[in-house]
Amino acid sequence: MINCFEARQEFPAFWRREVAAERRAELVSHLARCAKCDRAFRNFALGAPVLHSVGEPAARAVAEGQSARDARPRRSAGVVRGEFVPRRGLAMSAAALVLVAASLAAYFSVTTPVDTLNDELSTDPIATQIPGADLYPSSEDLAG
Amino acid sequence: MLGLASSRKIAWRLAVRTDEELIAEILNGATAAFSELAARHRPRVERLCQRFFSDPEIARDLAQECFIRAYTALATYRREMPFGGWLRAIVTNLCYDELRRRRRRPEDLVADFTAPEVQWMNLVNDATPEEIVAAAEERRDAHDLAHRLLDSLRAEDRTVLILKDSEDLNVREIAEIMGWSEAKVKIRAFRARQALRKQAERMRAAVNRERLS
Repeated sequence: MINCFEARQEFPAFWRREVAAERRAELVSHLARCAKCDRAFRNFALGAPVLHSVGEPAARAVAEGQSARDARPRRSAGVVRGEFVPRRGLAMSAAALVLVAASLAAYFSVTTPVDTLNDELSTDPIATQIPGADLYPSSEDLAG
Repeated sequence: MLGLASSRKIAWRLAVRTDEELIAEILNGATAAFSELAARHRPRVERLCQRFFSDPEIARDLAQECFIRAYTALATYRREMPFGGWLRAIVTNLCYDELRRRRRRPEDLVADFTAPEVQWMNLVNDATPEEIVAAAEERRDAHDLAHRLLDSLRAEDRTVLILKDSEDLNVREIAEIMGWSEAKVKIRAFRARQALRKQAERMRAAVNRERLS
C-alpha cells in the first residue's frame, strides 16, 4: 500500500516513466481511490511538461513546425547552432565604444596643456599686466 | 602495436580535452577553443533557458548571451566549481533578470485559452493519469500551457521551481546560485508550490466553467 505522502513524492518519477511497473500500478490505484491525490496529480500535470520533462520540447516543436508563434523569423539569423558566434549587437556596441574612446583620446591629446600652471602664468601676457592699468593715467603722466 | 595504442591514446586525449584544459588554452590566447567549450555545454544551457521561456528565440538569445558573459568573465572562473555549474549560475541569473524585466500581470495569463490548450486541459481533467502522461509527450500545447502557468508566478518562484524540480538542485546550491539565504530559498519554494497549485486550480476551474456554460 502507498500513502498520500509517498504517492505525491512519486509524481515526478511517474511523469518521467522512471517508476517500476509494480510501484506504478500501486500509484495509479491510489490515485483512483484518493480524490485529493488525484486532484493534486492533475494540478501537477499542468506544470510538469516544463518542470519535469526530460527532452527539449521547444526545440522539438520548432522542428515539427507545430506552433505558429515559433515560426517567426529568427532575430539572430547569423547564429550558427553549436558554434560560438558573437552577437551582431555586441560587435556594433564594441565598435561604437572604440570610436568614442579614439575620439576622446584625440581630443585630449590636442587640448591638454603641456606646460605647468606656473609656466602658463609667467608667459601669459594678460596675467603679467596689472588689471585696469591702461584705464588710469600713471603718476608720471600726472606730473607731466 | 604499443606505439599505435599510445598514439591512439594521445589522439583521444587531444580530441577530448577536459573543460579545464580548454579554459587554460583560452586564457593562454587560443580563443578558438571556446567554440569547443560552448558546443559542449550549449544543449544543457539551451534546455535550461527553454524552461524559463517558451519562445525558442528568447531562449536561444539568452543562451548566446550566457556564453558571451562566460567568455568575458572566464578569467574569474575558479576550478573548485565545475565549469557546468558556473555556467548554470550565469544562465540562471540571466534568465531571472530577464523574467523580472518581462514581468506580466498574472490576471492576463489565466484566460483566453487556445482550442488546443482547452483540449489539453479537458484531457487533464478527465483522462486517467497514464493517459495524461502518454498524451503530454506528444502535445506542444501541454508545453505551452505549462509555460503559461509558470508565467503567472513571480520571477523568484519560477526560478526556484526550475532549479529545484528541473535541475534537481538542493537548497544550498540554489542559495549559492541566487545569492539568497537558505531560509529564503525554502520559503520561496514553499510559496512557489502554493502559488502554482492555486493557479493550476484556477485554470482547470476556468475550463470547467466554460464547458458547463
